[in-house]
Amino acid sequence: MRIERRLRQPRWLLVAVPAGSLVFAFFASGLVLLATGHDALRSYRQIFDAAFLNSGALGQTLTQATPLAFTGLAAAAAFRMRLFNIGAEGQLFMGAITADAAGLYLGAHGWPQALVIVAMVVAGCAGGAAWALIPGALRAFFKTNEIITSLMLNYVAAYVMTYLIFNTQSYWRQTKGFNASVFPTSKAIPSHAFWPGWHIFPLGGGLAILAALVLWFLYTRTRFGFEAQVLGDSPRAARYAGMRTRRKILAVMAISGSVAGLGGASQVGDFAHQLDADPNGLQKQYYGYTGIVVAALARYNPLAVVVVAFLIGALQNAGNTLQGADFPSGLVGVMQGIILFSALGGELLVRYRVRLGRTLPAVEAA
Amino acid sequence: MNNSLLVVVLASGVAYGTPLLYASLGEVLAERAGVLNLGVEGMMLVGAVMGFWAVQRVHATTAVSLAVAIGVAAIAGTAMAAIHAFLVITLRASQIVSGLALTIFAGAAGLSSYLGNDLNLADNPARHHFDAIFPASVQHWSIVGPILFGQNLLVYASWVCVLAVSLYLSRTRPGLNVRAVGESPASADAMGISVTAYRYAHTLAGGAFAGVAGATFTLAITPQWTSGITGGAGWIAIALVIFAFWRPALCLVGAYFFGALQALSPQLQARGIHLGPTELWTNSLPYVMTVVVLVFVSSSGARRRLGAPASLGLPYVREER
Amino acid sequence: MRGIVKRFPAVLANDRVDFAVAAGEVHALLGENGAGKSTLSNILTGLYRPDAGEILLNGEHVQFQSPRDALDAGIFMVHQHFRLVETFTVAENVVLGDHRGEGRTFRLRTRAIEQRVAELSNRFGLAVDPRAPIWQLSLGEQQRVEILKALYRETRILILDEPTAVLTPQEAEVLFTTLREMAADGRTVIFISHKLHEVKAVADRVTVLRGGRSIATVAAADATPRSLAALMVGRELDAAPVTRERTTGEPVLELTNVWAEGDRGDAAVKGASLIVRRGEIVAVAGVAGNGQRELAETVAGIRGATRGTIRIGGKTIRGGDPRSAIAAGVAYVPEDRLGTGVAPSLSIASNLALKGYRERHASHGPLLRLGRIRERALELINRYSIAGAGPSSPARLLSGGNLQKVVLAREFSGKPRVLVAASPTRGLDVGAIETVHAYLREAAADGVGVLLISEDLDEILTLADRVAVMYEGAIAGETTREDADVEEIGLLMAGGQDPRAD
Repeated sequence: MRIERRLRQPRWLLVAVPAGSLVFAFFASGLVLLATGHDALRSYRQIFDAAFLNSGALGQTLTQATPLAFTGLAAAAAFRMRLFNIGAEGQLFMGAITADAAGLYLGAHGWPQALVIVAMVVAGCAGGAAWALIPGALRAFFKTNEIITSLMLNYVAAYVMTYLIFNTQSYWRQTKGFNASVFPTSKAIPSHAFWPGWHIFPLGGGLAILAALVLWFLYTRTRFGFEAQVLGDSPRAARYAGMRTRRKILAVMAISGSVAGLGGASQVGDFAHQLDADPNGLQKQYYGYTGIVVAALARYNPLAVVVVAFLIGALQNAGNTLQGADFPSGLVGVMQGIILFSALGGELLVRYRVRLGRTLPAVEAA
Repeated sequence: MNNSLLVVVLASGVAYGTPLLYASLGEVLAERAGVLNLGVEGMMLVGAVMGFWAVQRVHATTAVSLAVAIGVAAIAGTAMAAIHAFLVITLRASQIVSGLALTIFAGAAGLSSYLGNDLNLADNPARHHFDAIFPASVQHWSIVGPILFGQNLLVYASWVCVLAVSLYLSRTRPGLNVRAVGESPASADAMGISVTAYRYAHTLAGGAFAGVAGATFTLAITPQWTSGITGGAGWIAIALVIFAFWRPALCLVGAYFFGALQALSPQLQARGIHLGPTELWTNSLPYVMTVVVLVFVSSSGARRRLGAPASLGLPYVREER
Repeated sequence: MRGIVKRFPAVLANDRVDFAVAAGEVHALLGENGAGKSTLSNILTGLYRPDAGEILLNGEHVQFQSPRDALDAGIFMVHQHFRLVETFTVAENVVLGDHRGEGRTFRLRTRAIEQRVAELSNRFGLAVDPRAPIWQLSLGEQQRVEILKALYRETRILILDEPTAVLTPQEAEVLFTTLREMAADGRTVIFISHKLHEVKAVADRVTVLRGGRSIATVAAADATPRSLAALMVGRELDAAPVTRERTTGEPVLELTNVWAEGDRGDAAVKGASLIVRRGEIVAVAGVAGNGQRELAETVAGIRGATRGTIRIGGKTIRGGDPRSAIAAGVAYVPEDRLGTGVAPSLSIASNLALKGYRERHASHGPLLRLGRIRERALELINRYSIAGAGPSSPARLLSGGNLQKVVLAREFSGKPRVLVAASPTRGLDVGAIETVHAYLREAAADGVGVLLISEDLDEILTLADRVAVMYEGAIAGETTREDADVEEIGLLMAGGQDPRAD
């Protein structure tokens, strides 16, 4: 087998590879299911019903897909510039914390709904951006690898959130009521701070689509996007061309973090209406990490992220709903993993030409 | 004396630190060969579940069952690492995304949970587990008793592993070759060293170590299986590798330090000592300190002496134009 | 080697090459860049596998599956970019990968190895401390380590790829002596070069490659540089030197006592002072690694000056800020074309707009004018006859010469006052070199002050009005072209010391 670099990447491969990955993943997971004595077709049918057809299923899928769209966009925004921000998880938590605080405080002070929502959006973005700027600044000023720092900060953010829910003096903790004295839980935001939806479609979903459009425009049509592109491809070329490298790193990390933080705000405003009922609930969803999967499948294209987020969200939703004796738990993670593995493997087909056998090039007569 | 805070925390620090130590030794091997594997948590979880399964299934003496279980855990970890190795070494995929994918695939919501539930492993105690090996009288020696002699075989075996990995990397020819592969694959290649073979071998060895690390939870610490039993230890192990500047001996120090931090918070609470938000800082400290160390390591002066293998995370392709 | 064929995507690098060398000779492999010399030697060392053809070693067929096979067969290559592990010591590098004899031991006996290496380096007069880490060594010393690696393995066939690029003329002579001694010892030395006088000086026989084919093998004694050049290029070279008017315009670039740090944080440029006038080409000669690259980057603003001033057209520019240097009219052709000079995966149009994208013709406030950028790219592609790809194909698909045209087209379109060109012709074929030289002369004729950084003395002597020699970060001396003398420049490049003395 020989692997050669492709000189030109055919466009159809860009669609065929992710689609093929999906098919392959269903096939491979089917083998896993059969090997462990499950009826694969039945499980897939269950997944499909639970994701789309059952009553309320589509709404639940949107609930799962919305945060994934945000974290996927956050990853895409940074990865496009080859800034490997894998801290969307922590940035989402931080956005949720700040947006929740804004909702609690302004809601309690009787601000009108529209203003409270705007304030929550701004606070969520700011919280996520601030958290992302830590690895961003370390990268910009000390050249510290952002992969590990952003990863580490996820855990710090998770512990901060847990602390805010558990600590008796915390502004976020619910202290009134019977349940509150038994289980630590967070305060709910006043109902007029709830984000309105359109039927089953959450406001956050709309914001995610808007964010995707803005990001797409930013990266393809503006000077900022041009600079980010150059910087992502070759930092030396960017510096050579007089681009402000540090500022750009900070700006892109801030954008990435604020999108993730907006996802946190949407969690609070659209769905949970509190920081979290279960102190570790949000952390069990791994929205941040799954967002990277989403972004990778979408090849870091913001518009494709939204579509992929919907599909992965559907899978995620099915996994959550179907837990029980009837359905093999963990199947969804396995499938997500296989989808991603095959997409990563398929990437090779996009970038390289694989030749089987030793082809001897014809030598034309001199 | 042996109930004093320091002794108790250090003794449990060694116990909690052991899985971190195994996992980080494995990650040191992989990273020294230039392969970053962020899938440690996933490999550990699969090792944990398969090791536990083996001990429940094998009907033999305690010693044999446990030996088989450790072997199975190592093989399970290796199998997981093989996926990553194939993707990043042969198919040249992004090491970051592939490692994360491995964690999602194998992790708490993936294969490890699938296998654990499918094999009905939950809610049963292990039929055999690793116990302290020294007689009680020795364990009760003042101070050193609980810390050094109150531990199980896996702890002592990990010390042998630290020594072995350390000597391997610094004093042997294959060790020299691995370091060359991680620093400058093109040089290694030109000198007839197979970059691919070395990267595969060490990524797989890293998986085996991670598998054993996972089994440490189900066969020694808890000893039972629940979904997501490692609770993020795999991520701490990745942090630890940096914290230890990619050196096995420092991994040992770091692992016990991070382990002790984990033990500190419940001990402080049990003794009614309040040092601010204890849980918050004891839990976050390993991560915060890793960030601090990373900043320090990335300063240009320190980089050459202490820093990461120069080609860490980069695929090596020879024939390209 | 018989009938060797090697194909890369879109390139036929070796086309039925025949190549034979005898034991005990120094055999030069001569050819332009892109003639297939490196590919051929990479096949001989097992790094690449040929698509067709056969290799015979002492009359026997051999097939190298990997570099190890070739090493085991006694073939060793010193690559142009050394294959040394920077963080390892000299001794560790020497034994790396050795798996025969004492290399079979599992344990690494550091002491014993260091002693062996010290012995070898004494015996062959290749002075280098076995315990020193590579990154502390000069490029000349690193080359000695590479040769030690070969000697340690008792290599029968030693291949050196452009070994003199990192040496002063005098150091090169010392190397030639070593190589001839090795050949007298019964070894074979294959010497890859495109420099005619070197080939003539060191080789017994010469094989000339052109366009991926072997053209001829001749005895070096019978050949003249002129006849070799004709074989290499395939036509008679125009040997008449281009003469230009000396200009004495006002200074456009003035460096006064400039200091700058290298990548390791140590001082790389130490008090360099230099003036370039309007319409003048000033060359900076020197052995690689003496601070020329850092000097060029400092002028271009990519590297900050720790001390001293840089004036462009009389105005002091802020150090370490490429944007203000660009605004002051500094154009820069960097040594590293693919990676610094262009962003490799971006389109040619984007790369042509790499510096001008902020200006009115390319953007409107924060928005890009994509249509205009494309139009302009088409115009430049035409004017500079950049061949091989359209405006939207990625820059990395271009050949070296066309890539350099992209860089030059962009840099000239910024209407510069000063042009800094760092090794602008490295790795280019003769045709492209002539084009680049013509553009540089044209720029000077238009009144641009050109600062040419080059390690190639021939290039410097054909282009420059004045030559400054850099040694260990300082300007060691300066002469005009009329007074320039290769011997003297060589001595200055070595810091005034003659390595032949001992």
